[in-house]
Amino acid sequence: MRPRHILAMTAALATMLTLAALPAAAQGSLNVYCSAQVEWCQAAANAFQKETGIRVNMSQKGSGEVLAQIRAEAQNPRGDIWFGGTGDPHLQAAEDKLTAEYRSPTLDQLHDWARKQAEESKFRTVGIYAGALGFGYNSELLARRNAAAPACWKDLLDPRFRNEIQMANPQSSGTAYVMIATIVQLMGEEPAFEYLKGMHRNVNAYPRSGTGPIKAVARGETGVSISFVHDAVTERLGGFPVQYVVPCEGTGYEIGSMSIIAGSRNERNARRFYDWALTPAAQQLGAEAKSFQTPSNRATPVPAEAPKMDQIRLIDYDFAKYGTSAERRRLIERWDREVNSLPR
Amino acid sequence: MRSAGLWSSAAALFAALLLPWYLVQDGLGVLSFSDGGWLTDADGAPALGLVLAEGRWWLWPAVLAPGLGLAAALLPLSRPARSWLFLLAGGLGLALLAAQGWSIGPRGWLSPWQTAAFGETEWRQYGIGWGGSVVSGALAVVFAAGLAGRGAFRGDAFTATVAVVLTIAIGVFTALPIGQMMAGAFRDAAGGFVPSAAVTRLADDRLWSLGCVAGAPRCGVVWNTLLLALLTAAGTTALGLAFALLVTRGRLRFARSLRWLTVLPIVTPPFILGLGLILIFGRSGLLSQAAESWFGIELGRWIYGLPGLLLAQLFAFTPIAFLVLIGVVEGLSPTLEEASQTLRADEKITFRTITLPLLLPGLANAFLLGFVESIADFGNAVVLGGSFNVLATEIFFAVVGAQADAGRAASLSLILLVLTLVIFFLQRRLTGRKSYVSISGKGDSGLPPPLPKGVRRLCVAVAGTWGALTVGLYLLAFMGGFVEVWGRDYTPTLRHFVKAFSIEGGQFTGLAWGSVLTTLELAAISAPITAALGILAAWLFSRTRFAGKGVLEFATLLSFAVPGTVIGVAYLAAFNLPPLELAGTGAIIVACFVFRNLPVGLRSGMAAMAQIDGSLDEASHTLGGGGMDAFRRVVLPLLRPAIVAGLTYSFVRAMTTVSAVIFLVTAETELATVFIVNRIINGDYGLAISTSLVLIVLMLVVLGLMEMLVGRRRIGRRAAVAAPVASAPLPGAIA
Amino acid sequence: MSRAAEVRFENVTKRYGQAVAVRGVSFTIPAGTLCTLLGPSGCGKTTTLRMIAGLEYPSEGRVLIGGRDVSALPPAERDVSMVFQSYALFPHMNVLENVGYGLTVSRQPKARVREAARAALASVGLSGFEERLPSELSGGQQQRVAVARALVLEPAVLLFDEPLSNLDARLRRQMREEIRDLQQRLGVTVAYVTHDQAEALAISDKVIVMNQAVIAQEGTPRDLYESPSSDFVAGFVGEANRLPATLSARVGDMAQVTFGSASLTLPHRGAAEGAVRLAVRPEAVSLLEPGDPASMLLGRVAKASYLGGLVEYILTTGAGDIFVIDPRTERQRAVGEEVGLFLGQRGVAVLPA
Repeated sequence: MRPRHILAMTAALATMLTLAALPAAAQGSLNVYCSAQVEWCQAAANAFQKETGIRVNMSQKGSGEVLAQIRAEAQNPRGDIWFGGTGDPHLQAAEDKLTAEYRSPTLDQLHDWARKQAEESKFRTVGIYAGALGFGYNSELLARRNAAAPACWKDLLDPRFRNEIQMANPQSSGTAYVMIATIVQLMGEEPAFEYLKGMHRNVNAYPRSGTGPIKAVARGETGVSISFVHDAVTERLGGFPVQYVVPCEGTGYEIGSMSIIAGSRNERNARRFYDWALTPAAQQLGAEAKSFQTPSNRATPVPAEAPKMDQIRLIDYDFAKYGTSAERRRLIERWDREVNSLPR
Repeated sequence: MRSAGLWSSAAALFAALLLPWYLVQDGLGVLSFSDGGWLTDADGAPALGLVLAEGRWWLWPAVLAPGLGLAAALLPLSRPARSWLFLLAGGLGLALLAAQGWSIGPRGWLSPWQTAAFGETEWRQYGIGWGGSVVSGALAVVFAAGLAGRGAFRGDAFTATVAVVLTIAIGVFTALPIGQMMAGAFRDAAGGFVPSAAVTRLADDRLWSLGCVAGAPRCGVVWNTLLLALLTAAGTTALGLAFALLVTRGRLRFARSLRWLTVLPIVTPPFILGLGLILIFGRSGLLSQAAESWFGIELGRWIYGLPGLLLAQLFAFTPIAFLVLIGVVEGLSPTLEEASQTLRADEKITFRTITLPLLLPGLANAFLLGFVESIADFGNAVVLGGSFNVLATEIFFAVVGAQADAGRAASLSLILLVLTLVIFFLQRRLTGRKSYVSISGKGDSGLPPPLPKGVRRLCVAVAGTWGALTVGLYLLAFMGGFVEVWGRDYTPTLRHFVKAFSIEGGQFTGLAWGSVLTTLELAAISAPITAALGILAAWLFSRTRFAGKGVLEFATLLSFAVPGTVIGVAYLAAFNLPPLELAGTGAIIVACFVFRNLPVGLRSGMAAMAQIDGSLDEASHTLGGGGMDAFRRVVLPLLRPAIVAGLTYSFVRAMTTVSAVIFLVTAETELATVFIVNRIINGDYGLAISTSLVLIVLMLVVLGLMEMLVGRRRIGRRAAVAAPVASAPLPGAIA
Repeated sequence: MSRAAEVRFENVTKRYGQAVAVRGVSFTIPAGTLCTLLGPSGCGKTTTLRMIAGLEYPSEGRVLIGGRDVSALPPAERDVSMVFQSYALFPHMNVLENVGYGLTVSRQPKARVREAARAALASVGLSGFEERLPSELSGGQQQRVAVARALVLEPAVLLFDEPLSNLDARLRRQMREEIRDLQQRLGVTVAYVTHDQAEALAISDKVIVMNQAVIAQEGTPRDLYESPSSDFVAGFVGEANRLPATLSARVGDMAQVTFGSASLTLPHRGAAEGAVRLAVRPEAVSLLEPGDPASMLLGRVAKASYLGGLVEYILTTGAGDIFVIDPRTERQRAVGEEVGLFLGQRGVAVLPA
């Protein structure tokens, strides 16, 4: 065998093994896992990079996926900070010590609910925005069916919505779990499950993803969905006949959160981003990117299109109790056993 | 053998003395090469520098093993003695390097038992870079040279090298991640080893319940998966057969364009088909609206669940059945049918008694492929599944869902893996005996008989409907790229394309540029590697006998049999830590593409190899050529169609895969498919579709080029044999 | 060419798992001779040839070429070339590239390769076919290209694996003469595998007959034909009637052999007194009139076939059916006719037990 062949072969092997040698991070960089809307993620990354000169590598993924990824990478973390996404997975990550403790100096400027989120997680996560749970509906479809829009939770039991309602499957979606936890807190556990069983008759599907139902509403595939109201606003701005309602009995909400990943390689930059993301200037970017959650800094102006949180009857959501893995597993399993297995 | 050992030892020694052993975080550019400073730099030093300056004694084998190999090659020794030394240098060197690599990590010991046994350690190290990889690779060649010297692999160093490198590569990139992942099935939530955990999970009622037969709302996921797979397999086989018969024997004028139509679903990025179906058949889809306004019938939501899923899979996988079957139908020797007709059998009887039975192995093969594709399909299931759960989605949501349960995901993957493997073995048994499909180089004269009238009418009806649907579906789906809001506001616009692919002042400012270019780059890197490895493996498996060959062949199948999501998570877990710290780089995506698509390249290579007379290799051997000469000068030129098929297939797969890479992409390595999926999730269909369209056009261009390349030169009598393989550029190769 | 080398097998065994293809075989092919490995299919002759080539390795024993132990050497290091049954011409290379292949892969300069390949082609009479593809040649021409390709390396040992089996009868005869001429002219050692005994007898210096993985007999063609050592060899090499007989009165090398009413004095070849088997070549029997005093045995014609140069008979006798070839075609006997048989000493042999 001739030398050049060996070299060529060795080189090929080496190439295979060490395409890795391409640099992953340069000095002064930050790896952001972003679970907010991609436009918002992009805007935040650009703005932070422009302001600080730190190179931002942003990858946008759903919060479940990010949690799975952080878990897989736990021994040797790749990401530095996790921005956005519903609060539950952040709390779970905090519970499993996948995220690092950090007290930002800006903490004082935040709404109570955001600060509470931080305290309950022992400062491993913090609220950056909040969004209320509500109903999205397709106004054209309901008009065609001569059905009035729902206004309260109890309306969802009405036969006029037979086969018209979608909510996500809590086994995979945090949104749906927030809904179950809300109902339980509103009504007490036993009546809550009676309610869910009653609503089950009107549900046509439990899609896997939390935003699935509102998309189905937008496309006219279903009349009503149980969704975060800011997602309904996004669909409406996309040109679809979507309206939202906040239930009259009061409703739960999510706290979009942010956490620094434990063992981050660029922890200083991560903290800098963390502090920056809690400022009004940074939080305004959400509305500019057509994401209409309520920002957590009290000084951030709330966009006109956004649902007004102060006009919504919010329940006193017990994140400490309903955020734990054990309670979550128990409720979801009960739902699967008692509700999901019923015929419609 | 001696020269192989000599040069590989020299290469290993060179790398150990000069190349940075570890992966240099910020690129090789930061090292000071001019003054020799890198030789002792803690991050960038080669193995020798680390041993001497940093006291990392565990890297001694990296220097000593190549030295030993070099000495063995240069000293005047007998052949057996030299071979033993090569084996020792290569084998022991690799083993020691692997042992230290998988022991010492960036936070000390890598496994808990080591901490328990030896206490905490101060030793730290990161993943290997150029130095580590070149030394390991070259030591593998030294080891192979030793094996060859002992008379293994016909004493040929090249063959031995191929075998050793392939074994290591498959071990590291397929067996290791999947093995690790599967072990998860036997761990409880806290990570402890509890074999009974697997039993509990596997016995779960949600998997096996047959309640729906008795009227309950749902059945177990396993039964759902099986039911869907059976229906899809049967459907795609029937449709594929109808098409294949029409194209080859239907005497149609538009047969060629039919072929291209069948390629379309294969090059379509995932989710697009499902969305198109919703647009036509969904509750507010065109068909439903028409039905409501014309007939006052409300069609409702039937598309979600089994019917829609089945429909989508039929669209997606019929082309594969077609490509398999057209090879078989074309390979059918018309003389057999002519013989039947001279024996007083009319067209209809001939078709029933001769043609169909002869097609049976091909039909079985197509059926099994459809089955496997169906159970591994994630994209359609997630869009159209509704409340109808299948294993692929169940696994995905077990990993990413609100109840992140890696153990459950592993158990479900285990079920899927077993299902797939059973199918693969069935397929192997069947195709192993397909001897009566007679593709001979002789070129039988004779014309295939036309189809019996009834059969032809049926075929035209079935294929016609299917074809019209496909065309309609694609027209509609593509229209989405050219209108304001798909399904809502049909004002024509080009703004999506501008948004995705704008170029301002020589800068690619469009949103999709980055991901499309990355996808092209990674697909272009991985396709040749896949094809090369596949052909090498095919050559090795079909031309040599060695212990463990069966195991190795089996291991290559694993990564194909496991759903993409599982592979993605398994890769992330396996390659996030030293010594192979690939996570976050393009390399991990390339490796994923290569080893996931390898089985297909391997199969098509093996099929082609079976048609090349083994005495050709032997002739090369007796004429003084080594294994390399036989491979490069004799086998390779004859395998060209198979190589092109492998290249095309792996390129297309790399361009359209999403589930396997969704966990592996980072900001810098975002792929177009992931970009598209995220657009869809955000409801930005226009952008998603315009990006898909560009991808499809790119792939069609590549396919066309490949087709031209194959069609241009025909060589000798073998060309007649090779042609059917070439004419099925896509997964037909699996057959 | 004086590079011809001796080939020696020492107790070579080849196993494939449980099956034994070659069992404890030893033989020597002297340098510069043409030796045929003859036997029915599955007897191990091709495996033996492939072990000389290095395409298979012995499980036990040693293979020596020119006194050097090559048991573990790959084909490329053995100084042998082989002509395959299927010719194994590379279909994607033209004739010249095929013939020059061996030199190309041993990195000879291009000009030298072309020159040597042309010369080799000329030596098999195929000048002018250089640019053709193998598929454009006739069977005989392909055969010659295969031979030229093997010769161009001037190997010490040339191997042929049933090289003529794909040719028609006339061409087969012509090609075997050419191979023999070539071997004589070059003085190269040739090992030649065939199952056609006529071919083996026609061209060989030495024939090794194999059966069921072992050597049944080796020797010159004449030895084999005239003194077969076993029932199998007698039946496989040439035609032979094998008849039961009685051996008595051993004196020195000779003994009295009786079968039917006939009695002959023949070398006993180690057979003990008592029942033996006798090999009688068909041409060793002469047909006489029934009353002829030289007649040893009476028979009746059961079948007669006129073949132009000779007549074949099957005769029913007291010692069993006997197949006879009679070159005297002018007196063809009719079926049912009674004849006398005379057996000469040549062509009749006692088979050792």
